[in-house]
Amino acid sequence: MRGITPRREQGMADPVLAEMVHATGATESRHFAALKPVIQAYRASWVKLAPYRDGPVNSQRVTVDDPAPMTAQIKQKAKELGADMVGVCRLQPHMIDLGSEVVHEFVIACCVAEDYEKVTEGADAVEEEAMRTYAQCTEIATALAAYIRQMGYPAIAHHNGASEVQAIPIFYQVGFGELGRHGSLINEEFGASFRPGFVTTDLPLVEDQPREFGVQDFCMHCNVCQRNCPGDAIPQDHVMTHGIKRWLIDLEKCYPYSRLRDEYCHLCVDVCPYIVKSHPETYKAFMKERKQVGYKTPKTY
Amino acid sequence: MEKLYVNEIRPDGAVSTIGLFYSRAEAEKIVAMLSDIPEQAACRYEIVQAVRHVLAERGAQRAQTAPEE
Repeated sequence: MRGITPRREQGMADPVLAEMVHATGATESRHFAALKPVIQAYRASWVKLAPYRDGPVNSQRVTVDDPAPMTAQIKQKAKELGADMVGVCRLQPHMIDLGSEVVHEFVIACCVAEDYEKVTEGADAVEEEAMRTYAQCTEIATALAAYIRQMGYPAIAHHNGASEVQAIPIFYQVGFGELGRHGSLINEEFGASFRPGFVTTDLPLVEDQPREFGVQDFCMHCNVCQRNCPGDAIPQDHVMTHGIKRWLIDLEKCYPYSRLRDEYCHLCVDVCPYIVKSHPETYKAFMKERKQVGYKTPKTY
Repeated sequence: MEKLYVNEIRPDGAVSTIGLFYSRAEAEKIVAMLSDIPEQAACRYEIVQAVRHVLAERGAQRAQTAPEE
């Protein structure tokens, strides 16, 4: 199946970032040039695992008479490996990168929640936590793909080290939540503070279904992420893609804060009120700090 | 930078925005890639200025002066 969704290149391969960096007279993004050793180690970990995303498939195939118990087994395995959420859907072209082809029928989405308490420790701690969860997702996807191949079915891991699939449409389809104004998917338990890993496979599985619980309507009037964005990069207006509202982030405004300075920026996700249910005290304390420096906070929690 | 939407127009007239792009060359490359996919042959593509996006910018009236709530 051929993909139809463009993927923006990362780092200096992104022409927008490259143009902005070169305009400053530099050759590398300030943020990436200033990465701490612990962050560099996490990034190296997913690059190191990339060659193991695929591998030999056991010629002795496990028979799957009923996909339901197999799906339960796979989800249980993913949770044993450390996933906080696991979902399954049938692959569709808009879930695959434009220019890529994925031959498998299903995709398994795994998520690891970030420790939201890190917001109290500052941007460096938030970045380290994000990279830690990305690295953990890489390990989970790699191990889960190997587990499926051992059962005699092809399976490929997709993660930060190498991927041909798109997180948001898969997350939506497996029922993790809905797309928020800040461009990340919002789950009612984890907010937008979680990171992904995926496995595509032909193992017979049962699909999950999308779940909507009012996020897109809420985002129409909340605007907390928009008003807390230091670059003013989150738009008021949305576009529609496959029937879903999307607020397309203006990278020219985002990058000066997220790529062209040393400090990590994760504020649009950190201020999202959907995290308040699971971390009420931390969220309120964090938003109190934001209010003290002049940013908008929610009317109610 | 220039800001452009690439829109997909389906045979029934439904419009779906593919994404926001920052140069005509980048947008045209995406359209060319999509047009090369046989399964997408029934769709048309348009590149349009992201005017609404620009109108949505709040410029100087930005977050730091937002009223307290």
